[in-house]
Amino acid sequence: MAAAVATSSWKSRRRRVYQSVFQTDISQPTPYSTPSARFTEQGQPFGGHLPLSDLDRQLHHASRTLAASPDAAPAARQPPPGQLQTGDGLYRRDAVASSPFAPTATASFASPQPLPTGPRGQQDAAEDQMRYDRAWHVVTSRIVLPASATAEDSFGTLAPDSQYSQGGGQGVSSEAQFYEALGLVVNAPKVLPRAAHTEDILSWHTQQVRKHFAQHVLPLLSACAEGLLDEEDLRDSTGRGSYEKHMIIVMSSVRTLEAAMRLYSYGMQLLVRGIQRVQTVDKENAATDPELVAGRFRRDVHSLVSNSASPQLIRSLRVVLLHLAGNILGVPAQKRGVNGEGEGVRPAPPSDNDLNSLAARKRLLELLDPLYSVGLAGERFQILFAEIMDGIMCDFVKGAYAGVWVASSEKHGLFRGSAVTGPRPIARAVSSPCVVSLSDWVENHYARLAIEVLSRISDDPSQSPVTLSDVKTYQSLALGRLASLRISELFDIVLAWPSSRGALDDLRAAITTPARRLQLTDCFAAQLQRRLLHPGRSTLEILQTYIAMIRTFHALDHSKVLLSRVSPSLQLYLCGREDAVRIVVTGLLASPDEIRAARNERQMREEQEGTPRGGRQARTPQNGAFMTPALPPRRGLRSRHGTPDVEEPGVRDVPPASAASAGGGTHSTKLVELALLMTDPIQSRRAGGADEDADLDWNDLSWLPDPIDAGANYKRPRSEDVIGTLISALGSPDTFIREFQVIVAERLLSDQARFDQEVRVLNLLKKRFGEAALQNCDVMIRDIHDSRRLDGAIRKVQGVKDGGEQPGTPRPAATTPTNPAPRLRAAAPSSPASAGAPYHARILSRLFWPNLEREHFLLPTPVQDQQKDYEQGYEHLKASRKLTWLNQLGQATVELELQDRTVTLDCKTYEATVIYAFQSPDPGPARRTVSDLEEQLQMDDDLISSALSFWVSKGVLSRRGDVYTVLETAASSSSPPSSSPASPTSAEALPPPTESEPAAPAVVVDEKEAQRRAVYWQYIRGMLTNAAATMPLGQMAMMMKMLIADGFPWSNEELQEFLAEKVGEGELEIVGGKYRLVKK
Amino acid sequence: MEDIQNSAPGSVPAGKLGARKGADPSQNAAKRLQTELMQLMTSPAPGVSAFPSGDGNLLAWNATIEGPADTPYSGLTFKLSFEFPSNYPYAPPTVLYKTPIYHPNVDFSGRICLDILKDKWTPAYNIQSVLLSLQSLLGEPNNASPLNGEAAELWDKDPALFKGKVMDRHKDIGDD
Repeated sequence: MAAAVATSSWKSRRRRVYQSVFQTDISQPTPYSTPSARFTEQGQPFGGHLPLSDLDRQLHHASRTLAASPDAAPAARQPPPGQLQTGDGLYRRDAVASSPFAPTATASFASPQPLPTGPRGQQDAAEDQMRYDRAWHVVTSRIVLPASATAEDSFGTLAPDSQYSQGGGQGVSSEAQFYEALGLVVNAPKVLPRAAHTEDILSWHTQQVRKHFAQHVLPLLSACAEGLLDEEDLRDSTGRGSYEKHMIIVMSSVRTLEAAMRLYSYGMQLLVRGIQRVQTVDKENAATDPELVAGRFRRDVHSLVSNSASPQLIRSLRVVLLHLAGNILGVPAQKRGVNGEGEGVRPAPPSDNDLNSLAARKRLLELLDPLYSVGLAGERFQILFAEIMDGIMCDFVKGAYAGVWVASSEKHGLFRGSAVTGPRPIARAVSSPCVVSLSDWVENHYARLAIEVLSRISDDPSQSPVTLSDVKTYQSLALGRLASLRISELFDIVLAWPSSRGALDDLRAAITTPARRLQLTDCFAAQLQRRLLHPGRSTLEILQTYIAMIRTFHALDHSKVLLSRVSPSLQLYLCGREDAVRIVVTGLLASPDEIRAARNERQMREEQEGTPRGGRQARTPQNGAFMTPALPPRRGLRSRHGTPDVEEPGVRDVPPASAASAGGGTHSTKLVELALLMTDPIQSRRAGGADEDADLDWNDLSWLPDPIDAGANYKRPRSEDVIGTLISALGSPDTFIREFQVIVAERLLSDQARFDQEVRVLNLLKKRFGEAALQNCDVMIRDIHDSRRLDGAIRKVQGVKDGGEQPGTPRPAATTPTNPAPRLRAAAPSSPASAGAPYHARILSRLFWPNLEREHFLLPTPVQDQQKDYEQGYEHLKASRKLTWLNQLGQATVELELQDRTVTLDCKTYEATVIYAFQSPDPGPARRTVSDLEEQLQMDDDLISSALSFWVSKGVLSRRGDVYTVLETAASSSSPPSSSPASPTSAEALPPPTESEPAAPAVVVDEKEAQRRAVYWQYIRGMLTNAAATMPLGQMAMMMKMLIADGFPWSNEELQEFLAEKVGEGELEIVGGKYRLVKK
Repeated sequence: MEDIQNSAPGSVPAGKLGARKGADPSQNAAKRLQTELMQLMTSPAPGVSAFPSGDGNLLAWNATIEGPADTPYSGLTFKLSFEFPSNYPYAPPTVLYKTPIYHPNVDFSGRICLDILKDKWTPAYNIQSVLLSLQSLLGEPNNASPLNGEAAELWDKDPALFKGKVMDRHKDIGDD
């Protein structure tokens, strides 16, 4: 006995450990499969918590039937269920057992025994307890679960069979016995009131199921999951490659669970049926509804299953769901593989007869029922499903609409003619095709799938899982996604203007809340900083983008509130670009030819746009089930305007150059758009007619209240007004006007014959800024016109004098009393003819012109003479005024007679003066150095150098060291230096060249390049010798930029390449990322 | 020499012509030094080189002189530092030997006694001419006004010992 107690205490300790793990406080009254073999070891009382031996002792004490040795008691507990064994000390049980318990039971029902008192009562209690224990045993051994499950279906199919066979073997009597026993167990409180240790059979079964599940089913499940997946599948987080494997895992898990559920519910059914039968006997006692109990049990088991589902299983389930739902909704799963691989297939709503989608739908719905029945469709599943649906919506919106910016075609067609500048009618009611197709997709596919899935896994079939308002929520969610997509694309949309109108329609439909508007401006401002406002962008590109921005944002939001939030950083940046105003003004002043060219080009571009569009539609059907007519494939779009692909962020930064040139055409040197806008009647009308009473216009059907996020001083702008916005971005109008004056002055002083464009732009600007602001320009233009007249008058006087006037070349020359700019037309070097060269001047009113510096130098004598004559002529006409000559601003036509050729060139006066100085009567070689010329002409050396390089570039002079020599023959490099004697024929008697000079310009370039590289190499050597022995690339590039007077045109990459060459030649080495000279 | 080769011909705009005048003196110095640097680079003299030091200050340069053959300094390399005043070239630069050198006209802290770096300086000199003068000074020291008397004495008396002293004193300095 001592040994037995020790064993049992050890067992109970072990049980406590087990219970602490499995949370089971319910006893295991019967052994699993072979009760007789392990009965004593079970160590559990029937219904009690005390160790069996103790209980026995109590029982025996209580019944005072301890005649037999205590050792017999364990033996008495050995009989198998249903078989009664006569044992000494258990005669009462014998008596009960020999007759079926039913009579006794009914008897006790009929006449409940009086409460036991004293020893007799104790004996009754023991008797009741024993009967209860026996009934308990019968019931539990009937519904006990198989102890082990070695194979997947060992308990799935065999167990019930064995139980049935067991039941069959024992015949009907055992069935009856079971129900009797069950009746006893269930009604224990009434039938066996004295049985102290009773228990709820249902919770026992539940507990048994729990334990069984933990011990036998879970290992099987994890075996299902782990067996199939190899390392690669585990690493692949999306699991897309291994859908089949995951499907197998899910299916086998589900089958395993199904089998287990069958097993569990078998026992439950027995119990429920039995309870029902028992309760039909005693209606009054129907305290517990067996259906309710069964439902609770089912819920219990389901929560058990879903809570213990392993992460692997959930993962597999996710993959499977993702795949199936993706296919159903037209978001192909393989699309997200390697970049560009699945590029051809865009997600698109599947058509009704798309086999792929139908099959996937069938598969999914088939899968759902077993999932639901085994309890895997619980809360976790719903969360999983929600996540997947959410992901699919994202994928769909991203995949299907990224870069699809087509406007609704009919409307676009209507406005195509005036699309460039035409105002866009406010189209709030009309949704864009993307929005329409998206909400259609949500309604007909997305919500449908959600309904189908959720209704199948819902516990309450009467209630629709997805209401109409849910569908609306889905749609607004999808629209939000589309909005964020468009917001992230907005910069590219701007670049692609105006072919990206459709995207703006989407955006306009979506940005309805201040939060989204804020998100839009924030995101765009960030992109602007990153992609546009850096030194890598030319001012022209920035301005072109800004124009596109103004127009895009106007189309998006007429109120300009959005634009005003993104433009400050750009305006600030433009202030740092000195050439911005100049580019704008020259753009405004673009000549009609340039405008025409730009127009043609735009037309051509639109025609090109038209062709792929047609081609695309023709191609659409071939693209199969995933294409809808409303959604053109991406490829066509890309070829159309070379927009950067959104999915390749690396490329994104680069294209704006190309995109800008695509958006702004190839006229990359001038901002011709401005001239186009300027001449556009709509623009100018709108700009001109500022209607103060706009808000009182009751007939304005497109009136909208001010945006909610408008600032305090917000004033509704009336129009797009690109030019106005652009100019205001450049600072105050004054700055703009001042710059405009300077540029107009330059143009007026050029040799341009007519100034129609300038006058026209001036008139347009006057409308914008007012007459007074542009008065100076008026005067300047009048000066030029006046000087033509005056010039004619003076020429008439002089014409008598020298008669050399050629009416065909009436170059106006003019001077103002103090500030004249001479224009000379002089064949400078031809001294005999120079007297007759026509000389014209333009006379400027000093006060009204921008400040023009005066450069002093000595003109060639013949010209000087003419200048004097002209001055006299002028003073003759306007006695009180005096001319001050601005010699450097003039123009001259120079004719050079060289030994083998005659060069005629239009050039600046100072250039003509310099080349005139090379004229020499000597037959010897005409050579000059800069300092010679400086002395001779009293000219600034900068001007001389610039003039000399001009002539060198024209192939008239050659340079050796400091000395410049006239190139008498063009191909002098091939002729021997001494073979060409001085040519007496040339009037100027220019000396022959004494040196060879490379003739072909290409060679010159190469040689120059080589020279430059040699010099740069010297710099680098000097730097590494003296400044620091080792230097990183960036510092070297910086030093080069700082130190080379003419600027260092190379980029860091070019420098790196050059250095790499030197490393290859063994001159340099790289140590720790820094360059170092190789020591020799 | 070809200092205008990179500027496009005829590219002097009207605006620039006016605004060109009147820079402050240190800018003049910087411009001059830039020009000198270009000269040094386009027509380098053998055995000497100079370059602005790496800190972005154009008024501080480092230079290198190789000891001329047939002198005790043959095969040795000397580093020097140049500091230009802001009114350069109207005032001479301050030149110091950074490499320890044993020479009659150089003291132990590297200061140099050379007339063109003192009172004989004219704006016509430039870095290259200074470096070439210093190089020739290595072969022909001015023993009449020595900073290092011992060296001046040894130069004539005991060339072998002088050479030894030169080698003892010389020590290649690392950069920085």
